[in-house]
Amino acid sequence: MAKVDIRNLNVWFKENHVLKDVSLTIRENAVTAVMGPSGCGKTTLIRAINRMNDVISGSRSSGELFIDGKNVYDSNTNVYELRRKVGMVFQKPNPFPKSIFENVAFGVKIHKMATDKKLSEIVQTSLTEAALWDEVRNRLNDSAFSLSGGQQQRLCIARALAVEPEVILMDEPCSALDPAATAKIEGLMRSLSERYTVIVVTHNLQQAARVSDFTAFMYVGQLIEYGDTNSVFENPKNETTEKYITGKFG
Amino acid sequence: MGRKNGETLIFVSLGVPTAICLAAFAWIAGSLFTGIGTLNPALLTTSVLQGGYFEMIMGTIYLLLGAAAIAGPIGLFASIYLVEYARPGKITAIIDQSINNLAGVPSIVIGLFGYTFFSKQLGLGVSLAAGWLTLTLMMLPIVIRGSEESLRMVPGAFKEAALALGATKWKAVSSTSVSGAAPGIVTSVILGMARVAGETAAIIAVSCVLITRGLPKSPLEPVMALSYNLFVRIIALGESAQEVFGIALILFAIVTSFAIFGIVLRTYYRRKQPWLR
Repeated sequence: MAKVDIRNLNVWFKENHVLKDVSLTIRENAVTAVMGPSGCGKTTLIRAINRMNDVISGSRSSGELFIDGKNVYDSNTNVYELRRKVGMVFQKPNPFPKSIFENVAFGVKIHKMATDKKLSEIVQTSLTEAALWDEVRNRLNDSAFSLSGGQQQRLCIARALAVEPEVILMDEPCSALDPAATAKIEGLMRSLSERYTVIVVTHNLQQAARVSDFTAFMYVGQLIEYGDTNSVFENPKNETTEKYITGKFG
Repeated sequence: MGRKNGETLIFVSLGVPTAICLAAFAWIAGSLFTGIGTLNPALLTTSVLQGGYFEMIMGTIYLLLGAAAIAGPIGLFASIYLVEYARPGKITAIIDQSINNLAGVPSIVIGLFGYTFFSKQLGLGVSLAAGWLTLTLMMLPIVIRGSEESLRMVPGAFKEAALALGATKWKAVSSTSVSGAAPGIVTSVILGMARVAGETAAIIAVSCVLITRGLPKSPLEPVMALSYNLFVRIIALGESAQEVFGIALILFAIVTSFAIFGIVLRTYYRRKQPWLR
């Protein structure tokens, strides 16, 4: 089933037209990878989904973006609720300078989603789901900065899960991590896709091939090719896509 | 001239000014400590009416704490506005330049403004409150600039993470930027206090008197201050040097301890905040 439906989306940063007429439909409970060379607009595309481009000064957009049939660019959209529903994990792990517990609890508190008693339950569930609970259960009050980079990124995933999102956006979540930590996050993407719609930006072809069900290939602001991962990699329809996945540029 | 002579010349031309500074400081410190003979701990808590310094010390502290209580919040909100909310443009540039200019206004001019505006126009008279407001003007540029710097040092990634979780802008700013910058903000207030602790010209006309009976009972009463007493004793009363140096030494100790406290606090928190390393 379609979860996110993007139609003729254009985004500008000041005079710079970074996303050109992008249309694609993203399936529910699947991992969709958005790949392409640096500066092709893939990050802008996923930041359009939770309207995080809004916070960049000089940005504007046109077109429609539906989540569950509702256009998030409608003037009556509650952006805060949208961002609760569409979680985001960033390129560089960015836990708050707070304790591990407080990091996960942050979103739950700002949305007033739980009582104090239920809060610790949510923290535990979220950390378990992010495959971090066993490593931190005895040190929940330690600073988040005491964790390794890979653990910090999983903490950021737990933090996003705690507010019960439906879509999870990941912006090159492994680019700052070593191979072992990368493998853990990739495994997590797979297991999360059972309950969530996962959209991951990557410039790593192998990663896209390993974890995704569907792959979108972007180039200079345009969506060049989109389809299920096997056919995009094995049988690309577009010449640019083929050049990219065979390593002729990128 | 050989290379060696050149090196010697540079060593001398850099070393001599340093030595002059050190000598001047040593001389000041030496003079101040000649006043130590006139001090004893009991005098610090003895009323001026019995020849002690109690009211002037407390007066100085009252002035400082009150000014900090006003300048702290105003400076904090102004800096949050400038860093997080103001859009770059003409108005922001004007505000920015005004803050720089305020920092450069001679204290006697601030005092004159305080006298005409707070004391006369607002009718506060010669009072603690008028002194607070006048000193606030001197503290503000330091508090604003210091807080701005601390706010800008907090990585934007924290704020972005909060926004992406669905926080409102104010919630994101207050829970990440401001809480991360809090130690730096507190430090800038303390350094601002150190800046105005010894201030004399600004408060001569607005809040100080030479002698009071007891401490002020309300903010609308005048107050004694170490710096003002020092000034009057030197200029008008021609007191013996030693007693004047005793007062100067107390003032010096207060100013220095504020500055040292501020610096220690800043160093301590910089160590605790990984993004500042």
